[in-house]
Amino acid sequence: MTPVALEELTIADTARWIRKRELSPVKLAELYLERIETLNPALNAYLTLTKDQALTAARAAEREIRRGKYRGPLHGIPFSIKDNLAMRGVRTTAGSKILAEWVPDFDATAVTRLRESGAVILGKTHMHEWAKGSHGINPFYGTTHNPWDLKRVPGGSSGGSAVAVAASLCMASIGTDSAGSIRNPASLCGVVGLKPTYGRVSTFGGVPGTGGHSTNHFGILTKTVEDCALVLQAIAGRDPKDALSAEAPVPRYARRIGKEVRGLKAGLLRGYFDDDVVDEVRGALGEAAKTFKSLGMKIEEVSIPHLHLIPAVQTATSRSEGMSDHEIYLRTRPRDYSPGLLYSQIAGLLIPASVFVTAQRVRRLICEEFEQALEKVDVIIAPTVPVPAPTIEECRKGYLERDGRRTALQDARGNFLMLCTIPFNVTGLPSISVPCGFTATGLPVGMQVVGGPFQEEVVFQVAHAFERKAGWYKKRPPLAELER
Amino acid sequence: MKDQVRRLDAEYGFGLTEEEIELIAKQAEAANRLFKPLFEVDLTGVMPLMKVDRRPDAPAKSKKGRK
Repeated sequence: MTPVALEELTIADTARWIRKRELSPVKLAELYLERIETLNPALNAYLTLTKDQALTAARAAEREIRRGKYRGPLHGIPFSIKDNLAMRGVRTTAGSKILAEWVPDFDATAVTRLRESGAVILGKTHMHEWAKGSHGINPFYGTTHNPWDLKRVPGGSSGGSAVAVAASLCMASIGTDSAGSIRNPASLCGVVGLKPTYGRVSTFGGVPGTGGHSTNHFGILTKTVEDCALVLQAIAGRDPKDALSAEAPVPRYARRIGKEVRGLKAGLLRGYFDDDVVDEVRGALGEAAKTFKSLGMKIEEVSIPHLHLIPAVQTATSRSEGMSDHEIYLRTRPRDYSPGLLYSQIAGLLIPASVFVTAQRVRRLICEEFEQALEKVDVIIAPTVPVPAPTIEECRKGYLERDGRRTALQDARGNFLMLCTIPFNVTGLPSISVPCGFTATGLPVGMQVVGGPFQEEVVFQVAHAFERKAGWYKKRPPLAELER
Repeated sequence: MKDQVRRLDAEYGFGLTEEEIELIAKQAEAANRLFKPLFEVDLTGVMPLMKVDRRPDAPAKSKKGRK
């Protein structure tokens, strides 16, 4: 039996050991469950543990592998699932009071595909109420803590998933991203977070009302880019149950991992968020650009003429689309929303249809502008979040200090922490957040690598090359005290 | 804007206080200011981005060869 240090495990390595029967899926699941028992009280990453189901799945994986029926690199791999994806027989709250007792009798397609790949699901992770927020403070189920500094938020809305991956409480997690909800917590927790192309992963089984219909994506959080590619391979592809899932063929995503990036071009996105990005994040991006150059890539600036209208388009689109799912609850259980969310939902009811349609026309212009930019470069590079993780106290107050300036977390442009990620929800382009540095106080900083539609292979190739060269993925959160 | 919020309050039965009505009205006004520049863009000939999917899963119905 291979000695196991969970913090160092990647799916790619673990899968090899499991396949060779050097590592038992049951033992692996037990080790993760023990670690969750030790660390979850302080981190609050998991809302619901599915211990019995997990051990049953792990035993089944072990039996199959012993009989020579190895399903692939996710066989026996421990996962967590954000609590807005339906899981048969498991409470699925979407972080809301309204669905506190909802137990679906079906699985989301992503969950089905993971099960078919032999994955072991350890439990459901904490999230923002109805996935509408970016810090991880939930009025009904408590606050999730950032493993790099417990006084800080993990980001959101897939905060529990990011913490579970960063703190080695699972090897990968499935999250959702309607405005940055995978990439934002991935950045603040120092892990990899992928929002694939719109339609690439079926959203069937996502809790309605936890993302705009045309802006929401299911995606993946892992420790490394290669692991992310392995998971996407399992969950991507057309789903007859999701009318908006894409028919585009699913390539072998790991094919370009490790391939040279020399000669590829990266466009550094400049735009409306330039003034919002703090010096340490800007500095990390500058260093990342140097790393790309050292890999032989060319860097040039790209600008999108109507980029400044992204917050308006995102707000008009996602709020209007969300209303169609929330109408029933607003009529029957309005006071079961937290007050802040109720107020913004009611304000959402006041968005005129003319605004929604005009936003979709401007959206087309913006998509075309990105298309033109991606004819000149292979990928676009952008910060993921303008700041490192704010403190829980700052988020409760609603503002943070940013290079000596007081900044509201919610302003006319929407959610401050999502300003850099929303362009890719509006356009549906694939975007991965990878760690690109750390602040002086030891907080992770993330960077987005964005590709053309269905160009996840290129995104993985570039992000992986950067990851290996920069080496930030090797850093682990300081959890030694909690582990004792 | 406050009147619009009051109308919604009556229709949906939220039971909002005057303070809440004011807060929501302010949010809606801020949103309107955010949306205003959308109407300043020249959108002549630009159609809205609306993805209309065909349903490829429905089996193609051909009467040929059927009894």
